[in-house]
Amino acid sequence: MSYDRSHYDRPHRGGGNRRRYKDDYDAHDRRTRDSFESPEQILKNTIIKLGEVDPIQELPRLAKQIREQVPLSVPVISEGIRIAVTEQPYKIPYYAALLRLLHDPTEGENAESSTSSSLGKQVLEDFWKGFQGYLDKLAWRDVRLCIHFFAHLTVAQVISIESMSALLQSFAAVLDEFGVSYGRGRNAALCAIEGLIISGAVMAKSSSSNTTEIIKTVQNYNDSIYAPKLLVQPAMSLFTESRSLENADEVIDTGLFVLKALDSFEFVEASESFPQPYLDFPDLDPTVSAPFELPAILVPPEVIELDGLATDAGEDAQVKKEDWPQYFFHLFDNETTPDSATPAGFLVRSQILDTIDIFEINRKECARLLLEYPKWCVPGTFKPKPGAPEPEFESGKNWQLESTVIEAILGSLYLLPESTHKTVYHIALITELCKLSPSTVGPAVGKSIRRLYTALGDGFDVENARRFAEWFAVHMSNFGFQWVWKEWLPDLELSEQHPKRTFIRRALEFEIRLSYHDRVLKTLPEPMQNDTTVISDQTPGPAFEYEDPTHPHYDTAQSILSLLRGRSKANEVLSHIESLKTTLESSGTHLHVDNTIRSISIHCLLSIGSRSFSHLLNAIERYLPLLRGLAGTDAESKQDILSAVASFWHLNRQMVNIVFDKLMQYQIVDPTDVVGWTFENVGGDAHSGMRPMSLSAFEWDLLKGALDKANGRVMVARRKVAALRKEHDDSVARVKASVGADVGSIEMDADVKPFKQDDSASENPQLTVALKAFASLTREQKGALARTIEGFVSCLAPCPSAGRQNPYAETVITEQAWEVRATWGADEWNTWETWGWYRHFCRTYSPYLRNYQETLGTVGFAKIEGSTSPAAKLMKKTWGMATGQES
Amino acid sequence: MAHVVQPLDQPSNYKDSQSRVERAKQNDLLSKSTTLYIGNLSFYTTEEQIYELFTKCASPEDGGGIKRIIMGLDRNTRTPCGFCFVEYYTHAEALASMKYVSGTKLDERIIRCDLDLGYKEGRQFGRGKSGGQVRDEHRQDYDPGRGGWGAQAQRLEAERRREVEERYADAQEGPGAVAGGGGDWKESETVVPSRKRGRSPDDEGDNVRMGHHRSRDDMEVERM
Repeated sequence: MSYDRSHYDRPHRGGGNRRRYKDDYDAHDRRTRDSFESPEQILKNTIIKLGEVDPIQELPRLAKQIREQVPLSVPVISEGIRIAVTEQPYKIPYYAALLRLLHDPTEGENAESSTSSSLGKQVLEDFWKGFQGYLDKLAWRDVRLCIHFFAHLTVAQVISIESMSALLQSFAAVLDEFGVSYGRGRNAALCAIEGLIISGAVMAKSSSSNTTEIIKTVQNYNDSIYAPKLLVQPAMSLFTESRSLENADEVIDTGLFVLKALDSFEFVEASESFPQPYLDFPDLDPTVSAPFELPAILVPPEVIELDGLATDAGEDAQVKKEDWPQYFFHLFDNETTPDSATPAGFLVRSQILDTIDIFEINRKECARLLLEYPKWCVPGTFKPKPGAPEPEFESGKNWQLESTVIEAILGSLYLLPESTHKTVYHIALITELCKLSPSTVGPAVGKSIRRLYTALGDGFDVENARRFAEWFAVHMSNFGFQWVWKEWLPDLELSEQHPKRTFIRRALEFEIRLSYHDRVLKTLPEPMQNDTTVISDQTPGPAFEYEDPTHPHYDTAQSILSLLRGRSKANEVLSHIESLKTTLESSGTHLHVDNTIRSISIHCLLSIGSRSFSHLLNAIERYLPLLRGLAGTDAESKQDILSAVASFWHLNRQMVNIVFDKLMQYQIVDPTDVVGWTFENVGGDAHSGMRPMSLSAFEWDLLKGALDKANGRVMVARRKVAALRKEHDDSVARVKASVGADVGSIEMDADVKPFKQDDSASENPQLTVALKAFASLTREQKGALARTIEGFVSCLAPCPSAGRQNPYAETVITEQAWEVRATWGADEWNTWETWGWYRHFCRTYSPYLRNYQETLGTVGFAKIEGSTSPAAKLMKKTWGMATGQES
Repeated sequence: MAHVVQPLDQPSNYKDSQSRVERAKQNDLLSKSTTLYIGNLSFYTTEEQIYELFTKCASPEDGGGIKRIIMGLDRNTRTPCGFCFVEYYTHAEALASMKYVSGTKLDERIIRCDLDLGYKEGRQFGRGKSGGQVRDEHRQDYDPGRGGWGAQAQRLEAERRREVEERYADAQEGPGAVAGGGGDWKESETVVPSRKRGRSPDDEGDNVRMGHHRSRDDMEVERM
């Protein structure tokens, strides 16, 4: 195994042609290369591996080895420590202890120490360069972990208290910047908070302590963040703005709470909250070993690379993803898992989250490291493993490791609007943990599932309910679909649309997609097997409407089908369809001939493509001209096509998603068509008929598919333009260089500038095409977003003249209604879920909504402009919070 | 990054033994690859199951998604023989699958993913003597998911087998047998056939140019 890839790079550097064969040879056998590690490499790896057995025992040995290395290379040592600190956060206190040992004067060195600086200081000086590098890149996690290191070193008397307070002050200063982005603010605040929790005890004793000021700055900043917090709480509350939550905490809120508590007792609790191995060393005499002074810093501003691409309406089309407040969901009580509002609990969670983040590149190693985590904590923090010797410390916190780890992983999975990493990473990580230690992790997972299931009835956010179902299904598919379904049997009494019932249905649907109907069916107890509101009684196959010989259009369909099966040319099929149309029209008995023909044709095409995804693609590709002919240019025919798809695959919603996606991909329909269709046809299995319009997770998936397609295309078009421009600029630069010395440079500049700005397009036809595409695509993007807002308005605040009204849209948002939710029927729950999707839409697409807020706001809310109904008000308020108009 | 552990998204020793591409070029292709080879599938696993799992690594908001899936078939029987290719639109999605999906279960088997040089005509078929994958020629164990079943066959499996045997009976060989999955977005007025639309004078230029583009794209589809 390699510990440092840069070492592989070395043979490649500076190689001419001569090198080529050798490189090739090397690539054949990596092991050869590994075994030729340089002494520096070996030392670096030894530093990184500190503590494989017992860090306390190893520390003096490692310090000795470092000092005895010949030649002594400070950069090697500092790089080793830097890698270790930023990639193994749980070991930071031990690296602080190591540095303290390197800082300590050795015997016989005393006389020199006043003149030359200690090895520890030299290493720190070099380490600082690395820190400065992270700071310049605003690599926040690395910066924060370095601050942990510095904070421990301050307690270890290696770094001066004054320079450490100044460092933390610099991060607090970020919070006073004008217009600081939330992401920057949160990251800077966390640096200050965590740095203070670790070093506060010595800071408090210092006369120049600025702890109180820093806390105040963070507090003021945090108080100014109001609206965004309401949108991302894991439990959805439509009626209250109260920010106190029972089952979740926001990380900065909690950090402040911890700090204030520590501050009022002079940070005495801090010392027992995390390991401080360096405290075992004797005090240093500051006159002999003066502490290291951290240089002053300024946190560099965020660099926003503007590509100057605007929409045709002149809005800035560049999307800047905003960070949101992070609420972590609690699954267990404070006896079982750390109370994040304590110093130990706060840091444990922070370290576990960092570990999850850092080792995203290798989930298997991540799982192993997480299960080894207690080794790096104060003894007694976690309950000993079953069968392990009795702990020496009686007064430990005795938290449960597996529950703590699962709670942290799920906490980061349930961050809104989106988790830090792809959902599937969290899922796969939990799978690995279960594989490593099934007997201990399994029960923690089981308990988590039960807690989350309970939370479903208490307002658990709709998006998180969807993620929960997804996790559940994928997890079960990795463990033989074993779940004790019968414990949820009593819930079959609940309303069909109760979030628990929706969850069960959805989880089973997702399981079936990953497996198959019969397999999943047989995992259920009988009452569930026979209940079609739990699981469908049919395999999710195609539904070819014209299959039945008694169907009036049976013959018509068969004639098209036989052409398609015989692989007739698309134009032959088209002309056959034209003739069928004429026949139908002349027979005079049929209304809506066009719609009928479209439906039959699409059913036939999907039928030949129904065997597999590839068959679908082949059918579409072979008959693209047919599809284009059917789709025509009007919106209505596109709606017909989408309706035909939905009816053909009404037993299989995964296929509806897939076919819609590919129809957009092949440009038969546009994202706006799909958005429009979704709102026109809301009403899956449970809400048929003329009931109030409402959205379930299935419709949300369709919307998201369409919006992501529209946004993704803009993204691709933007990259294309940027690449072409760069290519163009490069060629201009080359021309300029080749013309070179002869021409006066001033004259040249004058030539180039207007050329770049105005004539570049005409000079470069590719760029013209790309810019035109970009303009069309941003128009389409805006259209799709506006249509979505309109759609939500028609669901939640339809104007009085609209055909379908929803009286529940106003009632479910009151506190009284929420209190009696046990009496809610399907319509109430559906409406409540629709509110949830609307909120989720606003926060998920807020970067786009923000860019286009003027147009979208005007178009989308046109129908409820000036309306004072509670529903209309809540819609506009939510919109305002997401677009930053409401703070 | 990644000094402490080996990242999972690195190319392994998997390779296309019949590829004639030189190694440096191969490495270059792999570093941009959007295609994965998926191994150790059950013969019964469908493309939709594969789609469902792999779509979890897709990033449509970034212009990505599953472009196509090419099921590995037994050369002789035209039935799935336990491998497939999943092609995304972006490299990052392929890497995400390496990190999060490879080594997890699909249809109750642990599947493996490897970055692939990209699908080439003919690679959808098994290369074993019997028509399936080479590994199944030498396999000693009893593997119900990969054709190693007989008298003990379960009823469910038998039913799935019947469906599976019929599904790809129509599989074709040669150019154009495998769908492309849909390319980048193109300005649409030039793609829609102008069957009924009156031609305006300024249409001409566009159509000529686009026509040219299209034929090039078609060729690309065929080459793949």
